[in-house]
Amino acid sequence: MRKMIAVAIAGAGLLLVTAPVWAHHAFAQEFDEKKPLKLQGTVTKWELINPHSWIHINVKNADGTTTEWMVEGGSPNNLFRMGFTRDSLPPGTVIVIDGYQAKDGSSRAVGKDLTFTDGRRLFLSGSAPGANGDEK
Amino acid sequence: MRHRLLPSLLSFAAAVAVTLLTVAPASAQAQNVAAKPAAAATNSGSKTWTAPKTPDGVPDLQGVWTNQTSVPLERPPALGAKEFYTPDELAKKEEQDNAAAARRAEAGESGVHYDVAQFGLDRSHSKTGVTERTSIIVGPDGKVPPLLPAAQQRQAARQAANRGHQWDGPENRALGERCILWPNEGPPMLPEGYNSNMQIVQGPGYVAIEQEMIHDTRVIPTDGRAHVAKNVRLYLGDSVGHWEGNTLVVDTTNFTDRTAFRGSSENLHVIERFTRTADDTILYQFTIDDPTTWDKPWSGELPITKINSQIYEYACQEGNYGMRNILSGARATEKAEAAKQ
Amino acid sequence: MRFRLSKLIVSGAASLALAAIPAAAQRAGGNAQQTTYRAPRTADGKADLNGIWQAMNTANWDIRPHAAAQGPDLMLGAQFSVAPGIGVIEGDGEIPYLPAAAAKQKENYANRMKLDPEVKCYLPGVPRATYMPYPFQIVQSQKYIMLVYEYAGGVRTIYMDSNSKPPADSWMGWSNGHWEGDTLVVDVTGLNDQTWFDRAGNFHSDALHVVERYTPRSPDTLMYEATIEDPKTFSRPWKISMPLYRHVEKNAQLLEYKCPEFAEEVLYGSLRKKPLTK
Repeated sequence: MRKMIAVAIAGAGLLLVTAPVWAHHAFAQEFDEKKPLKLQGTVTKWELINPHSWIHINVKNADGTTTEWMVEGGSPNNLFRMGFTRDSLPPGTVIVIDGYQAKDGSSRAVGKDLTFTDGRRLFLSGSAPGANGDEK
Repeated sequence: MRHRLLPSLLSFAAAVAVTLLTVAPASAQAQNVAAKPAAAATNSGSKTWTAPKTPDGVPDLQGVWTNQTSVPLERPPALGAKEFYTPDELAKKEEQDNAAAARRAEAGESGVHYDVAQFGLDRSHSKTGVTERTSIIVGPDGKVPPLLPAAQQRQAARQAANRGHQWDGPENRALGERCILWPNEGPPMLPEGYNSNMQIVQGPGYVAIEQEMIHDTRVIPTDGRAHVAKNVRLYLGDSVGHWEGNTLVVDTTNFTDRTAFRGSSENLHVIERFTRTADDTILYQFTIDDPTTWDKPWSGELPITKINSQIYEYACQEGNYGMRNILSGARATEKAEAAKQ
Repeated sequence: MRFRLSKLIVSGAASLALAAIPAAAQRAGGNAQQTTYRAPRTADGKADLNGIWQAMNTANWDIRPHAAAQGPDLMLGAQFSVAPGIGVIEGDGEIPYLPAAAAKQKENYANRMKLDPEVKCYLPGVPRATYMPYPFQIVQSQKYIMLVYEYAGGVRTIYMDSNSKPPADSWMGWSNGHWEGDTLVVDVTGLNDQTWFDRAGNFHSDALHVVERYTPRSPDTLMYEATIEDPKTFSRPWKISMPLYRHVEKNAQLLEYKCPEFAEEVLYGSLRKKPLTK
């Protein structure tokens, strides 16, 4: 996505519709690309807030203990516009997060891929709904 | 639990996504007479259309709108002085843009970032106003004029001062990260990339415009009064409006020197014009003037398009875990680097 | 028998006067304030609530009756001391907390410098936004009424004659409104549990439900009433009321009051690379 960043600064070409350029920088300071992780856990809380939503999950560790993680996502406002509500991801739901851990080593992550245990994506599949095999 | 996210919700989202990609031809045609908004207001496409009025008898700009548009601020260099696409070129461009957006959404985000498409924040999930213009900036140049030497120095000094300090503290971060001001709130109000929405409500003598991010509401008096005192500097400036026929003209001054719109100073002066050209379109035009930054004023225009939705609260300060996490991450990085030595 | 003509005339005039009141009083009826005032109409025939308004009391310090007191920061001395107030709660001035909630309020008060969301420039919620000591503007149209608050750029959109529901909680809630005569009645739900009623730690849960009433009482005043209902916090609903005063100065306007940067040292000071030098 270096190309995307370069284009955004120059102001030429397509008007980009992802988060502003500076956000990429800031994410790199928050999360560590050298610390990819995969978490499976039970939703305890879904903070439908801005500028980023946060999914809190309880993850069972290998040694039997549990850790509460919080996972950063996007602004929920467009999810609302599409009919999602706070009831769309109830506590108790088991989900899988593919992402990166916080740079400061805390139990915080950014979630790139959010799915149910059967692989279906949590919210929207992409620009062509149904292309990933979701029900229509 | 498996079926909480009902299949019907997904198909609803699919239907919405498909519908939102439809272009409203009337708005594209209206752009061709952009220079004469008064004429456009009474004649949109082949139908005779009268601009609605509020019960007070002034032009009605009310509703929930998006200024998300398919056209960039500056013209792609390859197009040179070409100001308008032909209808065929426009259709092809739209197709390419949509395909590129779909590819990006499928590919997902690279690096440490959440997937915008998953949250419906990518282009395909937002209404996009279409115009035949090749850039928001009008005229043969189609780009922001060069900065005057003093303005270049000002910008260079600002960047130099922050170099090596960009993670020191909140003051070193962008205004948006601090939840003070979102990048394109302006004025001029430019597309934000997502949640690029506004609500307009009119009361006698006022036009209120609430921009979704960061819930800033410009309450613009329409009596052409004087601006506030010179020493009162505001992030969104001080806006005063008046009506010229069917057009709301808004004059904004009293900016701080921290907005730095494309390198501007506190002397930034913005004139906006809002003209309803169709039931679902407002023609938005703006002129930027700052004699301490550019040697001449420059202008742009874009369509503001109605959306069948509402503004949702964007309480940035209240949910800003990010600032804490950024600074915490920076301190952790410094500590790790110090430990290596 | 001595017949007092003057008395007869006076009583006759009185009964004539009483007969003349009814229409306006009945229109404003249904709430505690009986008023003979009939507000001017907007172009679409509703009571005109447009304007810049402000409460004039010390409810933001403490909505209960309270004497003057030391403020939370000793070094700001008298400047930031608690101004007294006769209170805005109807009845005996007490908030009917459930026992556990009463204890929590005391804890809030003891830690108010750390816990009061106002310190962090968080949105004040409803009804606190109404009586923050700063102006707010009502921009009234048919389908929507916008309440724009100067403090922290708070804003609420009242959806008129709608029974829409919020998808999630928010700081300023979800407002559905309708007219009862000249009174704007606003039903507020979807409020999160993060706001306080004042600086004294009076608080609520996310079950909070507020019903507001805005009634014109004179050309430059509105009567504001808010009924508070929250079964997780209070043993019964209770009510606050206060006049709201119009800003009549020429060219009165709201000014930007973006406070996030004023809260940065409080929120992030400990995360700086180097502490701020005084």
